[in-house]
Amino acid sequence: MKRHPLLGWLLLAPSLLLLGGLVVFPIAYNVWLSLHDKHAFMPVQSFVGLKHYVYFAQDPEFWSSVRYGVIYSGATLVLQLLLGVSAALLLNEGFRGRNLLRGVVLFPYMIPTIVAVILWKWLLNDSYGLVNYLLLETRVVRAPVAWLGKDYIMWSLILTSVWQFFPFVVVTFLARLQTIPPELYEAAKVDGAGTWRRLRHITLPQTRNVLFVIVLLRSIFMFTKFDTVWLMAGEGGVSRYVRTLPVYAYARSFTYLQAGMGAALAVVMFLLLLAATGVYFRAFRDEEAVA
Amino acid sequence: MRRSLALYGGGLLLLAIGAFPLAWMLSTALKPSGEIFATPPTLVPRVVTLENFQRLFTETNFVTYFTNSVVVSLATVALTLSVSSMGAYGLTRFTFAGRERVAGLILMTYMFAPIMIIIPFYILVKQLGIVNTRLALVLSYTTFCLPFCLWLLRSFFQSIPLELEEAALVDGATLRRAVWHVVLPLALPGLIAAGIFTFILAWNDFLFALVLITSDELKTLPVGVNDLFNATIVDWGMIMAAGVMITIPTIAFFVAVQRYLIQGWGAGGVKG
Repeated sequence: MKRHPLLGWLLLAPSLLLLGGLVVFPIAYNVWLSLHDKHAFMPVQSFVGLKHYVYFAQDPEFWSSVRYGVIYSGATLVLQLLLGVSAALLLNEGFRGRNLLRGVVLFPYMIPTIVAVILWKWLLNDSYGLVNYLLLETRVVRAPVAWLGKDYIMWSLILTSVWQFFPFVVVTFLARLQTIPPELYEAAKVDGAGTWRRLRHITLPQTRNVLFVIVLLRSIFMFTKFDTVWLMAGEGGVSRYVRTLPVYAYARSFTYLQAGMGAALAVVMFLLLLAATGVYFRAFRDEEAVA
Repeated sequence: MRRSLALYGGGLLLLAIGAFPLAWMLSTALKPSGEIFATPPTLVPRVVTLENFQRLFTETNFVTYFTNSVVVSLATVALTLSVSSMGAYGLTRFTFAGRERVAGLILMTYMFAPIMIIIPFYILVKQLGIVNTRLALVLSYTTFCLPFCLWLLRSFFQSIPLELEEAALVDGATLRRAVWHVVLPLALPGLIAAGIFTFILAWNDFLFALVLITSDELKTLPVGVNDLFNATIVDWGMIMAAGVMITIPTIAFFVAVQRYLIQGWGAGGVKG
């Protein structure tokens, strides 16, 4: 049967229209905006060239947002990996209730961010929160800790984010673990390799590639994370102690209404990610060549 | 013996990490206001009450937010599945120049986080005259789900032999009937997975709803509940009740299709 290519294009048309109009065009528009002074609501604009980029290069707030972004994504990445990989290794073993637990462990990742945030704000509440109650009862601390105050807000944000996103690591890592041929482990056991050596010499090399992808995706996701950070600290008060690049870009556009500056920050965010990804790929490939 | 003790210990710890915060939310939502602030706190409420839920339903716009979220999420799922299954069918069943390149470009658009284009996106939606409408939300969510859903369905369609629908066509079925009765049922697991992904994204989104919706009666749950939270004095019992209400559809959805998800975990694997 003959199929006309035109019908193929026709079927693709709605997808291409949406992606072209609502993703590709805004990307180009964003670059254009970043070279202009533009109010977020008013239809006034003027070409300013690279002015915004030059401004941010000397803007302490910008550099602090990059620093907070790196601290936040770095810390959450490491903790997610540790927790996620351990959980996946556990869930790969056979024990009763394993399937139920595999489902339960996904809950934090599936609930909306707003729920994760209000939930942890309640647990970490300084006067009535369960965390402070338990710490006081066990005499770990003497006075209630202001977890959501300026000194600890970053810790609380990291804790909430790790809890919310570690299931992603569990699911992807476990999917790969399940495809490792059991014969490899049996052969190693026969050769007298203990748990630790089996982990190091079989599991680790086998899961290398999936770990590469997990680290890549999670770093990008965490570095561009907006909702968890914004909901956790709001706009005023302690928010300046966790103001990462996405939150700063949002504030420039929608609080100060400087759309051009917000757009420039978005471009910078993209370039930073591109550079980091490039370095990461290079480092990994080189290591691969050596190994 | 030591091994199984370690396994169950680890399992219990993981259970606590995953489920305890949610259990605590439910427990708080079911307590009367006095008990919420009691020392020592109680995990199982001494008195179970629904007064927090009652306040949530009668004294706030929660029901409106909930309805909006349901309408927007379901509309998004319907639109995304139609558009992406059409697109994926076009990508797998027709040969035309540049087909693989188009597929690659579609995947590339997935690399852009919404926060990176939210400003031009907002200005564009405003110029289209659909700012502050549910339509704007549905179109945003559909667009951002499309690359993933297209690729997922493409791989499902590729695994369905062309001969099956050719046979139906030889038997006199129209192409539309062949697709509807032969191809789509076989791609059902893929459609379900794409549907779950889309529903969760639309149900959970905060950024688009924050930027694109201004009037209270059109707000979806995440923004609406954040507003409730930012009211002068936080009513913890009521806020936790709201949290429970937002979580229920996700968990229910999940339990209903859990079998597919668990299967998906081992997809392509040698173990079940």
